[in-house]
Amino acid sequence: MNFDYNALDHLRQTHPAWRLLCAKYAPLTASFLHRVFIVPNVRILAEADLVEALEDELFVLREQMGNDAFPGSARSYLTDWADNDKGWLRKFYPPGTDEPHYDLTPASEKALAWLEGLTDRAFVGTESRLLTLFELLRQMSEGTQTDPEARIAELKRRRDEIDGEIDRILAGDIPLLDDTALKDRFQQFLQLARELLTDFREVEHNFRVLDRRVRERIALWEGGKGALLEEIMSERDAIADSDQGRSFRAFWDFLMSQSRQEELSRLLEEVLALPPIQAMQPEPRLYRVHYDWLEAGEHTQRTVARLSEQLRRFLDDQAWLENRRIMDILHHIETRALALRETIPQGDFMSLAETGADIDLPLERPLFRPAVQNRITETAVDEGDAEVDTGVLFSQVVVDRAELSGYIRRELQMRDQVSLGEIVARHPLRHGLAEVVVYLQLASEWPWTTVDEEHRERLRWRTETGRVREAILPRVILLRNG
Amino acid sequence: MMETNAVGTNLSDESPYELSAVVIPLLKGIIYQEDSPALWLALVNLQAGVRDYVAVLGLELMLDEAEGYAFLRSREEDPDVAGTPRLVARRQLSYPVSLLLALLRKKLAEFDAGGADTRLILSRDEVVELIRIFLPAGSNETRLIDQIDTHLNKIAQLGFVRRLRGQKQMIEVRRILKAFVDAQWLSDFDRRLAEYREETAGTRETTDD
Repeated sequence: MNFDYNALDHLRQTHPAWRLLCAKYAPLTASFLHRVFIVPNVRILAEADLVEALEDELFVLREQMGNDAFPGSARSYLTDWADNDKGWLRKFYPPGTDEPHYDLTPASEKALAWLEGLTDRAFVGTESRLLTLFELLRQMSEGTQTDPEARIAELKRRRDEIDGEIDRILAGDIPLLDDTALKDRFQQFLQLARELLTDFREVEHNFRVLDRRVRERIALWEGGKGALLEEIMSERDAIADSDQGRSFRAFWDFLMSQSRQEELSRLLEEVLALPPIQAMQPEPRLYRVHYDWLEAGEHTQRTVARLSEQLRRFLDDQAWLENRRIMDILHHIETRALALRETIPQGDFMSLAETGADIDLPLERPLFRPAVQNRITETAVDEGDAEVDTGVLFSQVVVDRAELSGYIRRELQMRDQVSLGEIVARHPLRHGLAEVVVYLQLASEWPWTTVDEEHRERLRWRTETGRVREAILPRVILLRNG
Repeated sequence: MMETNAVGTNLSDESPYELSAVVIPLLKGIIYQEDSPALWLALVNLQAGVRDYVAVLGLELMLDEAEGYAFLRSREEDPDVAGTPRLVARRQLSYPVSLLLALLRKKLAEFDAGGADTRLILSRDEVVELIRIFLPAGSNETRLIDQIDTHLNKIAQLGFVRRLRGQKQMIEVRRILKAFVDAQWLSDFDRRLAEYREETAGTRETTDD
């Protein structure tokens, strides 16, 4: 990064994070966004919820600082923050809802993280960082070592070290981390855990940028389609196969494994129970930080899947060609329409097919009928004493028993025996399970019935919503006579 | 003794009842996957049957699985068979409505090229900005906005935009617009414009397409 005066000046004017820090209402913005998005690890918030939260916040602040402390309304602040020239919130409409939703932009999250880092830490552990660095170097050098001899030698060396440690412990010499070393490591863990959470928004943002770049390349492509497809599809999936995509997938696979999650939970619990750590008063949310990772990661995962799918759709043969042609024609249309703007055509100009066939049957229209005048008379309501069978209210599905037993009799006229399945096959069920139950009831009342437990029959029917259901029951056979 | 479970809807026997459960809604209008998933599934399964059936009515099933919508369209007219009345009526559109449709289609194409969201949502002001330069310059701003509102209402009636619940200032451009305002329609529009210009100008200017 270029760190000269001009570059920084430009950054201060354009980068949302710096602008957030410079803003007049920065404390309000930062504290509010931190409270609603970062603390509870929330990704998406509906506008109404966000407005309500901000109104509460403003109310409290005005109580403290006087009524004219913050002139705007909650909604106007939000709109302002989501505006392109601020860029602190991403405003979007998720599928299936008409309400705008918000998420933090990675830039504002960065500003918040920086603010968080401003406060003094009790002490800065350096040992754990050095160890982390060593470990990273070791992984890199080992992971790229192609010589099997060297690899085995390294593994043997480590085995010897472990053996030595085992021997020492057996001999009664148990090395323990002292409190300082423990706190040092825990602090390192805390920081990395939080950073990981912060990174997800950035990862997601990077995916969006990647997607946009691919789309731009498609839109501006001048050559043939084949060449473009070759370029884009040579990577099997432009997004998932990027460095970003692969690293994220590896992370995700790692986190998703059951044993890893269990291990994480167990280790977290053990570590957080240690007295020196307890003394540091860790946030209770740390116990489930890996679930927070999962949640945030899942969100990113979904975004990536959606982006990939839409990109594929965008690349789809027809849409691609059609879009190009359409942009060409539209260019023509605009030029012509501009030339016509002082004499725009009157009356009908174009026609377009309707979206449905409007079948309008004249005879279906009701004849004229004078409106019924409701006369409201005053009548005292008396308590009745009639005996009414309320059971009728509960048997709204009417299965005609007579009809069903008619079917059975008709089938038995032609042969000696018939199974329930055969009857149902000839006379499809119209009332579903209720009808099956009536059949079973009829069968139990039938003088000559046998049930074959060995064989099973399937009865199928279609519900009103068009789903097919089936019942599996032992074969019930009805006989003409014993 | 009895267990019930759901099985797929791929029963081989297509009773006329099943078919009508799909064809009738189709005749009434667009089926969206998002709005009625069960109906959509039935339609996708019975696709072939539906195609055959509506062919008798001179209709063609347009089904876009990726975008999740389906509708019926009049089949391209056969020059040999004249006089078959259309089942799907054609709606006459005024010039500003036609132009606005074209501009919204452009916006949709640009939107698809620019990002990953699927829902194109515009405020009324943006729509006004979209078409303003193509309309005669006038001083009465409110009248212009009212007019554009009327055009938008017309387009909403056609089913190509819808106003967001609770925020009447915002409209969603429905993706089905792509299927109706296609390259064919747009080039017809372009040609009409050229003809009109020739008529009004009375010049002998030749069109370039």
